[in-house]
Amino acid sequence: MFQSVQNGRIKMVFILVVVIFILIVLRVFYIQVIEYEKLNTLAENLWSRNLPVQADRGKILDRNGKVIAGNETTSTLVLIPNQIKNKEEVAKSLSEILGVSYEEMLKHVSKRTSIERVHPEGRDLSYEVADKINSYGYDGVYLLKETKRYYKYDDLLAHVIGYVGIDNQGLSGLELLYDKYLTGTDGSIKYFSDGKGNKLSMPEVYVAPQSGMNINLTIDLDLQLVLENELNNAAKKYNAEGAIGIVMNPNTGEVMAMSSRPTFSPINYQNYSVETINRNLAIWSSFEPGSTFKILTLTAAINEGVVNVFEDTYYDSGHINVSGSNLHCWKTEGHGTQTYVQVVENSCNPGFVVLGQKLGKERLFEYIDRFGFGSKTGIDLNGESNGIIFDLDRVGPLELATTAFGQGVSVTAIQQVNAVSTIINGGNMYTPYIVSSISEDETGIIIEEFKPKLKKENVIKKETSELVKYVLESVVANGSGHHAYIEGYRVGGKTGTAQKVGSDGHYMVGNYILSFMGFIPANDPQFVVYIAVDGAKGVTQYGGTVSAPIAGSVMKSLINLYDIKSDPEGMPRAYMWYETKYVTVPDVINMSKKDAVQALVGFQVEYSGSGDNVVSVSPSPGSRVKEGSIVKLMLN
Amino acid sequence: MKKDNILYFTTIILAIFGSIMIYSSSYVWASYKFGNAFKYVINQGIFLIVGVVLMSLISRIKYKFYKDKANILLLGCFILLVLVLIPGIGVVRNGSRSWFGFGSFGLQPSELSKIGLVIFTARYLSKNDKEKKVTKNFVLPILGIIILFFGLIMLEPDFGTGMIIVCALIVLIFITGTNLSIFVKLGMVGLISIIALIIIAPYRLKRITSFLNPWSDPLGSGFQIIQSLYAIGPGGLLGYGFLNSRQKHFYLPEPQTDFIFSIISEEFGFLGIFIVTSLFLLIFYRCIKIAIETEDLFAKYLVFGLSFMLIFQTLLNLMVVVGMIPVTGVTLPFISYGGSSLLVSMTMVGIILNVSRKNVH
Repeated sequence: MFQSVQNGRIKMVFILVVVIFILIVLRVFYIQVIEYEKLNTLAENLWSRNLPVQADRGKILDRNGKVIAGNETTSTLVLIPNQIKNKEEVAKSLSEILGVSYEEMLKHVSKRTSIERVHPEGRDLSYEVADKINSYGYDGVYLLKETKRYYKYDDLLAHVIGYVGIDNQGLSGLELLYDKYLTGTDGSIKYFSDGKGNKLSMPEVYVAPQSGMNINLTIDLDLQLVLENELNNAAKKYNAEGAIGIVMNPNTGEVMAMSSRPTFSPINYQNYSVETINRNLAIWSSFEPGSTFKILTLTAAINEGVVNVFEDTYYDSGHINVSGSNLHCWKTEGHGTQTYVQVVENSCNPGFVVLGQKLGKERLFEYIDRFGFGSKTGIDLNGESNGIIFDLDRVGPLELATTAFGQGVSVTAIQQVNAVSTIINGGNMYTPYIVSSISEDETGIIIEEFKPKLKKENVIKKETSELVKYVLESVVANGSGHHAYIEGYRVGGKTGTAQKVGSDGHYMVGNYILSFMGFIPANDPQFVVYIAVDGAKGVTQYGGTVSAPIAGSVMKSLINLYDIKSDPEGMPRAYMWYETKYVTVPDVINMSKKDAVQALVGFQVEYSGSGDNVVSVSPSPGSRVKEGSIVKLMLN
Repeated sequence: MKKDNILYFTTIILAIFGSIMIYSSSYVWASYKFGNAFKYVINQGIFLIVGVVLMSLISRIKYKFYKDKANILLLGCFILLVLVLIPGIGVVRNGSRSWFGFGSFGLQPSELSKIGLVIFTARYLSKNDKEKKVTKNFVLPILGIIILFFGLIMLEPDFGTGMIIVCALIVLIFITGTNLSIFVKLGMVGLISIIALIIIAPYRLKRITSFLNPWSDPLGSGFQIIQSLYAIGPGGLLGYGFLNSRQKHFYLPEPQTDFIFSIISEEFGFLGIFIVTSLFLLIFYRCIKIAIETEDLFAKYLVFGLSFMLIFQTLLNLMVVVGMIPVTGVTLPFISYGGSSLLVSMTMVGIILNVSRKNVH
């Protein structure tokens, strides 16, 4: 055809143009479909301004759901200068409400920034102030919720809980360890704005903040309060350098209470020394245990069958010679001939030296290792120590002898509590723990649950466990632990008095750690209580006189809190001449008056009514009363 | 002797749609700058009416007239292009001295040169058709004239218009059926000069490639394209709806001009884009049809040259907006704000319409 060359090339160009058009349309399709998500998010970020709404930090709760660490909510003033129309008027009103000078407030509302805060007057606003500001309904003036950590009981459980920094971030203790769970997701008020920062008439989007997870502890708040109170009293009364208290369930490893002195107030943690805020002495401090360690020697000796505690006897002259060294008993004149039950009751050092010798160093140190000394218990807290145990190669007769009564080894309080728990629960070792579960705040749904963790089974024979419990009950009933005795209840335990090693490597004079390891009920222990007071002053330096009464008070609280039933099967108390004796009121109901009076020898008897037959008695038969108390009889 | 009504009405529809979109995309800026949301749309509306009348009138002027007056028209354009460079006569807008100002209206001689050059080139190529076997004699003289005008326009400078003119006219020369080797040689020269420019100043390469990843310089060279993508991307299939663009709220600068296509995309989504591009393609298709059907060689070159110039500008604009090529500063014909640009585009269609009347069906 005529001009076919030209027409051919025109068609060529046309096709090329069509192809480019198709490419452009495909490119648009790609942008709008494939890159949609990415661009939409980026664009939303560009268009929207977020006012942050702080999320509550997760709470830390005790075993009954009582709040130990909670939150305080306040309001904070936030200005968006671009949206404020009448700057003079807003500045005037706000300066009056907040007590800031007009000039300064005008600077705030006119600042060229997207979000402006007024420090510090605009923070921590009370409800009334916030309400007043709200009532004006100014554009660009927002009140945002802010939340702060709040420790209702101040220093309670401080070392375990830890503390948070200015931005609510966990810095130590559980606050740090579980920070990931405790930290919530902040929400926001999102509004759309134009390129100059003016608010567009599009609806605001509220994204609710999500609270952090709650941490539920095995701690019993009421018990913890008791323990804190007791340690406070002890620290004050004895002007002590330090103190430690632990209450644990020996059958599960749940820590029910834990405290130490010196303590601190988490809100003002900056005011304390680094040592005070960072050392949880109950798991960090490693010290010579003294006589409480004899429980281990006793258990090993019984379990290995090297002693019959009822029949074998030991004569204590007040000292024992080991490889040329004279080791003294605390009682200079000696305890004379004793059964091994009495050796324990009297906490007689030479007697334990002999038990150690009977076991030999291999067996004794194998038991030390078996009960977890020298290594961490694995409790779910930061900052635990290993303690120090002699290297077996370096153990000579003297080291064996002192180790048997608790000198020359260094252990932590939690190690001792865990070892004794294993001994008295029948021989099962659990890993101590303090966090029982992590749950959602709103729904209460449990995210993660922590069960008792059995570490070792059958560490000792059941019979050994029974026998040790019996002997330790007798220590409280008849021996050095009598200050922890509770009338009508079965308590087992052992005192400890350990000399402290000074900075020069020698024992310090007159400076002791006085401790008591107890458990209740002695026949079926539910609670182990350990108390140690460091450097008590102005008191007889025995664990029995300082720490046993504290442990006794804690156990009395346990009886109330957990409704432990009185048990008349317990060992009667042996009385010193200076002590009041408790007796049981005999059953004299339906007896004749004469028989009743005979049965009530030692009581002051009063009568009411006339007749010869006893119909009722007050206090009722079976009650334990002080010797010489008044007993009233109702006659008919 | 009826004109091509499909072409006629498609052009009007596109121009009306353009004015509507100018309102939608400009009212935020217009209220901010002039306190009058309708400032731009009223200006453009006046030009739209004038443009439609002009297009209808020109469609009645016999195209042979341009063939006769080609030399004078080109001389006129040349004089205007020189005059506009003289300070005091030419007005500087957006960094280029490319305007004659009449109050708030303006006239760009470079826009007029588009028409003048196409007419002149079409006449030259049709008159010397027999020479086309001897490429050198056929192509070099007209190429010289094109480069002269390109040089004048680059003095303003107006790189976008200059490039449209050069490319469209080279394609027009290509249409004649002349030997392809000249284009290969031209391409080589272009390539070598680009490489030379890059070797002299390596930063140019970075500027050229920055459009591939605008986020490498989000506040500088990548800014406009990122803002454009933020408009196109969230539009999705159906868009936010008329008047609901967010990017026009001071994010995309001057959204009624070069980047109006992104606002269309944001408000009408993929579907809107599809329809608008189809209308452009329809216009081009009708023009190509006219060009092929006419047996007058001058008319063929004239129609192809004008329509290709329009569609090339369209492609250039769209490819910039969707991030396929670097930003060149070219408006979208019929749609972008700009009175003289609209009038020139409508005039071009008017000339093409006149050719369509002569075609016998």
